[in-house]
Order: sequence, then structure tokens, then C-alpha cells
Amino acid sequence: MPLLTLKDVTKAYGGVPALKGVDMDIAPGEIHALMGENGAGKSTLIKILAGVVAPDRADIRFDNEPVSIGNPQSAHRLGLRFIHQEFNVVPALSVAENIFLGRAYPRRGGFLVDWRALNQAARTTLHRLGISHIDPRRALGSLTLGDQMLVRISSAFVGEAGTPARLYVLDEPTASLSRDESQRLFTVLDELRNSGASVLYVSHRLDEIMSICDKATVIRDGRSVDTGLIADITHDDLVTLMIGRRVEEAYPPRVGVPSTTVMFSAQSLAIRGGRSLTFDVKAGEILGIAGLANVGQRNVLRTLFGDISAAGGAMLLGDAPYRPKSPADAWRTGIGYVPRERRSEGLILSRPIFENASLPHLAQQSLWRSFLTPRREQRSAVSQGELVRLKAAGPKQRVRELSGGNQQKVVFAKALAGEVQLLLLDEPTRGVDVGAKFDIYTIIREMAARGMGVVLVSSDLPELLGMADRIAVMREGAITDIINAADTDEEQLLNLCYGRTTG
Amino acid sequence: MLTLLRRYGTLIGFAAILLFFWISLPDTFMTARNWLNISQQMSMLIVVAAGMTIVMVMGDFDLSVGSMASLAGIVVAVMFTFDLPIWAAVSLALMVGLAGGAINGVLISVIGILPFVATLATLTMLSGLAFVVSGGKTISGRVIPEGFSGFARGGLSLGEWNGVAIALPNLTLVAIVIVALVWVLLEQTTFGRRLYAIGGNIEAAHLSGVAVRKLKLIAFALTGSTAALAGIMYASRVASANPTQGSSLMLNAIAGVFLGSTFSEHGEPRILGTILGVLILGILDNGLTQLSVDSYVRQILVGGIIILAVSTSSLTKHLRA
Repeated sequence: MPLLTLKDVTKAYGGVPALKGVDMDIAPGEIHALMGENGAGKSTLIKILAGVVAPDRADIRFDNEPVSIGNPQSAHRLGLRFIHQEFNVVPALSVAENIFLGRAYPRRGGFLVDWRALNQAARTTLHRLGISHIDPRRALGSLTLGDQMLVRISSAFVGEAGTPARLYVLDEPTASLSRDESQRLFTVLDELRNSGASVLYVSHRLDEIMSICDKATVIRDGRSVDTGLIADITHDDLVTLMIGRRVEEAYPPRVGVPSTTVMFSAQSLAIRGGRSLTFDVKAGEILGIAGLANVGQRNVLRTLFGDISAAGGAMLLGDAPYRPKSPADAWRTGIGYVPRERRSEGLILSRPIFENASLPHLAQQSLWRSFLTPRREQRSAVSQGELVRLKAAGPKQRVRELSGGNQQKVVFAKALAGEVQLLLLDEPTRGVDVGAKFDIYTIIREMAARGMGVVLVSSDLPELLGMADRIAVMREGAITDIINAADTDEEQLLNLCYGRTTG
Repeated sequence: MLTLLRRYGTLIGFAAILLFFWISLPDTFMTARNWLNISQQMSMLIVVAAGMTIVMVMGDFDLSVGSMASLAGIVVAVMFTFDLPIWAAVSLALMVGLAGGAINGVLISVIGILPFVATLATLTMLSGLAFVVSGGKTISGRVIPEGFSGFARGGLSLGEWNGVAIALPNLTLVAIVIVALVWVLLEQTTFGRRLYAIGGNIEAAHLSGVAVRKLKLIAFALTGSTAALAGIMYASRVASANPTQGSSLMLNAIAGVFLGSTFSEHGEPRILGTILGVLILGILDNGLTQLSVDSYVRQILVGGIIILAVSTSSLTKHLRA
């Protein structure tokens, strides 16, 4: 008997259909993947389950009983837990306090909190989920994002009296996690499954889904197109189901070979909090930077971009010394930057597309560098939008209203609007669906073909292998190897990242 | 319907207030003389609120504008006691405003103190300074030159209306010029666009090459200057200066900007919205005074209307989402 059954869930926003009939069954003790491109309707479905959005029509059964989820409280009473949501977490409190937040803390003498018992209880909970590396006394805010998520899961796992957690919903949980953190999360999900709970797992990362999920439901254009056992389906079939056509290649083909002209070089460039680096980027070359999470890739880009000053060494752009003092300096010199977090670092969500695209190049697009010429900006945004295959209602549309993939395309439109020589990309396809990913890869290739130098930081090794010409491997703040992408494979690259010798 | 209420709720309320006063005060309210009078009474507040809009666009605000206005009035008057010519005294007072605003800017953008704390501190300091410079006394009488106080009484003749000569007061003219300048600055220049970018997402603005620190500093300096200008206008209008006469400006200016931001589509402060917001406050004050409503009751009503307008706007926003 399934735990949760959805039949014919439909929802339209102001006449625009978001869901046109979704069916899904989740069995107890099952990790169920929910897949689909951005805009397919995944978030609407989850909001309906969470009781945030009311469906137009839906047959929802829980333990075979028809239920209606009118508000978040009723979702909670049914035992649904939404791990991505930020509430019920207080960064300044300890891990133990957060796990038992909203529940009675153990008391001593009926009045004082028994901290020792509380911490012990938290430790026991963490251990039951196979988590041993988190100290329950530490402040939640001091943990990595991945560990914070594990604490949130633990908190849901403890449950309140009367409403045990039955179904955990995780929306893109690994988007900002490192490889190791993701592995720990998967272990915990396994433990949850063993305890009899179910997990609804939303992700774009096919490899993860193939390795940890039992079943998958694919939705496309608001309809569930297929549901089945992961064991019976291949990676390629899933992609085909999601985008509705076969994709022959995940990466656009290489066009020609990069020139031998060095367009950027770093000579003993000392990165703050890291070591000194020497590398170069040729015109038309894509230089990948691989490494485990937080080994200094981000600071390398930030130094090249002038946001962090170099502690020593030199940079050359073309033949000229390049010493950026600020991001403004870098933009002026012809550096384009796509930051890691598009919502918090890349975009001003409340402003229109054209204002976002023109912001780094505003002076050049204005009269006497001071007076705005919105028509010119809009024309430029439209042509940049075509370049990056942006799908939007027009240049005046607010960025907030776009899907994740299209938001990322706006970030690219913005980075490419000036006369860019060197393009710095920090995880450019993170949280982007398969279709938009391919568009972004195509843009990167086109830019390289125009003679731009590209530095591509990514934690996605297949992406680096598929896109980069050479790959620099970083370990503990230093570049340890630079290899030709054609001469290596994922296993060797991973070994290099971990500092293991290949053999 | 909800969107309509959110966008035009305040405007509908504004129209209702106008209609109510028009009907209750048929002979005096809807007259050119009364409106020119309102415009003169409001001119100082309009100038301060226009300056306040500049920093509120970035999501900051400046609590020190009231004391800055008082101090600027005192500086002008004290300079007159030293027989300085009018242009010199006025320029000096404006410089004080620019400097005071720049100090706010340094505290907030370079040192990184929260605007609330930084400008609360400078509010206290400027207010103390106004007392020290003036010796705690009101400066008035013969030391104030005729040319200075005459400016506020003068105006641009608009001809006759119902047989009475009417003129556009000089102070209203000054306010119009300032509003026009701030409008150009915020809506038509790269400076304004960048301030809105900072208000939308400061980190993304910084990474897009916006010189956040420099712009914040300039913005606060401009706000300080407009506050000083308002203080000088006030001193001219009452032909005297005392160390507390600007103190009511700060809260009203912030209220005006908040009221005004309910007019804009996405709830951000816009200069024309601010002017409407300030006008609503001024018209309420004018109409209620004419209806001889007690001034304390007036305060309660004005506060209530601010809450009503801003909560309608934010409630409808929640409902829509």
C-alpha cells in the first residue's frame, strides 16, 4: 500500500497552466526521485504538498485516506517534512538546541535545562542517522551548509509526539554541497529509508538519482510522463524523458584548437588564504579548475577579478601588466565574471533584465557616461539575450520571474555585454536544468571560438572533462597538476583531487 | 483587484481625503491661495524628504536630518551676527550639511556602522552642536538681514485669481528645483541606477562593478546638504533660528518616503511617490487645522493613516504571493 498517492493534480496561475495532471505514488521506505526541467512544474507540486499553494483539482491520498492539505500545519500533521525550508533553524543556537527546537528540553530539578542530557540526546539522534562528525554543542551557524542540512534532517527525524515524520522532501539538496558532504547526506538518506520513512528527492543531477533513488517520476510541461524503477532505466532514457527528445551529446563539439597565443598569465600570483600560483590561459582556450570543495578555487577567481587583492606576484593580460583594484577595474579591463551564487551574487532580482545586463557596462551605454539611455540598454539586452538564447517576455521583465536556467542566462548576458577578453566562470551550470545547461555550454564554446580565454571552475568532473581544454587541479590552495582534458578520465581526475597517486 | 488596491490604494485614499476636505471646507480648501500656502508650508519637508529618498533607495536611512536642519539654521544666523554677507553665510551652512552628511557616509560605508546606529549618534551630536554654537538661545531680530528673511516672503507673481494677487512663493520654487534635480539624479543618471542596484542586492552590485562605498558616501553627503538647505529655508521663513526648529522634519520625511513607496509598482522609494506622500501629510495637516481639530488628535490621525497605507500595501503584497 503506497504511503502517498497523487492523482490528476492540476494547477493554473491566472489562466497559465503550471500542472496539467500529475500522478505519483510513493511507497513507504522508498527514495523517490522527482525529475523534470526547470518550469516543468516540480516546485508547484512541492508547494501543493507543503500546503502553500492550493491545487485547482487533486486527489491526494495518504495511507489510502483522502486528505486535503490546506496549509503548512496540516502537511506537518500528516508527517511531511520539507528539509529545504529555512524555518525552525536558529544559526546562533547549538546543534542540540536546534535538533530539539520546539520540543521540551530535558530539565534538571524541574526548572533548569539539563544541557548534558540535551547534548547526549542530540548525539544519540545524530548517531542513529550515522552522523558522527558533528559536535552537538557547536553553533549551527558555524557548520558547513551540508552539515546544517544534516542537522535539519535530524531535527525532523526526532519528530514531535503524535506526528512522526513519514516523508522527507528534499529540493535540490546537493546544489551547494561538496562531494563529501553529498556522500554523507546519501548515507543519512539510506538510514532514513531503513527506518521505514520515505524520501521525495528533487534533483537535476542524474548520477545522484541513478545511485541513491529507488523510483523516479518524470514530469514534463506540467504532466507526469513516466514513473518507474530506477533499476529498469538508463541515464539516457531519463534525459530523453525529461526534455522530450533525444540528446546525442551532453556537450557541444569542440571547434578547432585553441591558439598558442597566451592571453592571460599568472606568475607566482599569491592568493590570500592560499598559495602562489603560476598558470596561463591561451586565447580561445577553456581552462578548467578542478578540486574538492573549498580548496581555494573561489579565491583564485576573486583575485583575478580584483575583488581580493593579490598578496604578491603578477598578472599579465595580453602583454600588459594587469593589477585590478576592484571589480569595476576588472570589468573595465575586459574581464567577465559569472559568480557562483546567481541569486545572491549575480543578479538584482527585483530589477528588469536590461538593468541587470547593463549594470557593469552602464557608463559605456550612457550619454556622456552619466545619463541613462534606456532604449539603447534595452536594444543591447535584446541582442545579448539572443546570443545566450534567453527565453523572456522582453527586456523589461523582472529577473525574479524567470526560471533558474534563464536567470543564469541573464548572468551570462551581463558578463558578455562588454568587450570581454577573459571570462571567469564559477560553477556556471549549478541548479540549471538539462536543456539550459546545453545552451550554456554552447555559449561557452562560442565565446572560446571567438578568441576569449575562459577559466571554468566546477565541481562537476564530467563537465570539466567535456568542456575544458586543459584542467588545473587544485589541492589545499595550490595548483598541483595541469593536464590535457583529452588525456585523462574522471577516475584519474578524482584521484588527483584527493592527492592519491594513480596506478 | 488586489493588485489594483495595492498600487492605487494610497491614491484612492488621497482622493478621498481631498474630497472630504473640499466638501467640509467649501470656501477655503480648494483655493489657489490655500494650495500655495500648503506648498510653502511643505517646502522644507519636501526638500528633506527628497534628500531622504536618495539614501532610502539604497535601503538605508538618515535619522540626523532634523538636527542637521536645526544646526544649519543656527550656523546661518550666527554668521549673520559676525556680519557675514548672505551668500557667504548660506554657503557656509550648506558646507556644514555636506560635511555632516559625508561624516555619516564615512561611518556607514567605510567603517561599516549600521545606518540606524550611525545616524542616531550623529543626530545627538549635531543637536548638541546646535545648542553649543547658539548658546542655547533663539537667534532672531535685527541680526537677521532683511534680504534673508525677505526671500521667504517673496515669490513669483502669478497674476490675479478672483481679484486677489497671488504669487508662487520662493520657498516653493526652491523645493520644485530640488525635486527636479533629485528626479534627474535618481531616474536619469547612472548614479541613480547604481543606487537602486545597491538597494536591490548590494553584493551583486559590488560584483557588477558598482563602487558601493563611494556612492554611499556621496548619497549621504547629498542627504546632509538637502537637510541643511531645509534648515536655511526654515530660518528664512521664521526670520530666526533656534536649536530645535528642524526636529520634526526627520520622522515626517521618513513617513513621506514610506507613504510614497506604496505608489510604486514594486514598493521601492521613487522621488515622485515621495512628493505625493509628503503632500498627503501636508494636506491632512492643513485640512485638519482648518477644521480646528486639536493638534494632538491630528498626530494620532496622521500616524494612523501612515499605518493604514503601508499595511494595505504590504498585506495585499502577501496575499498575492
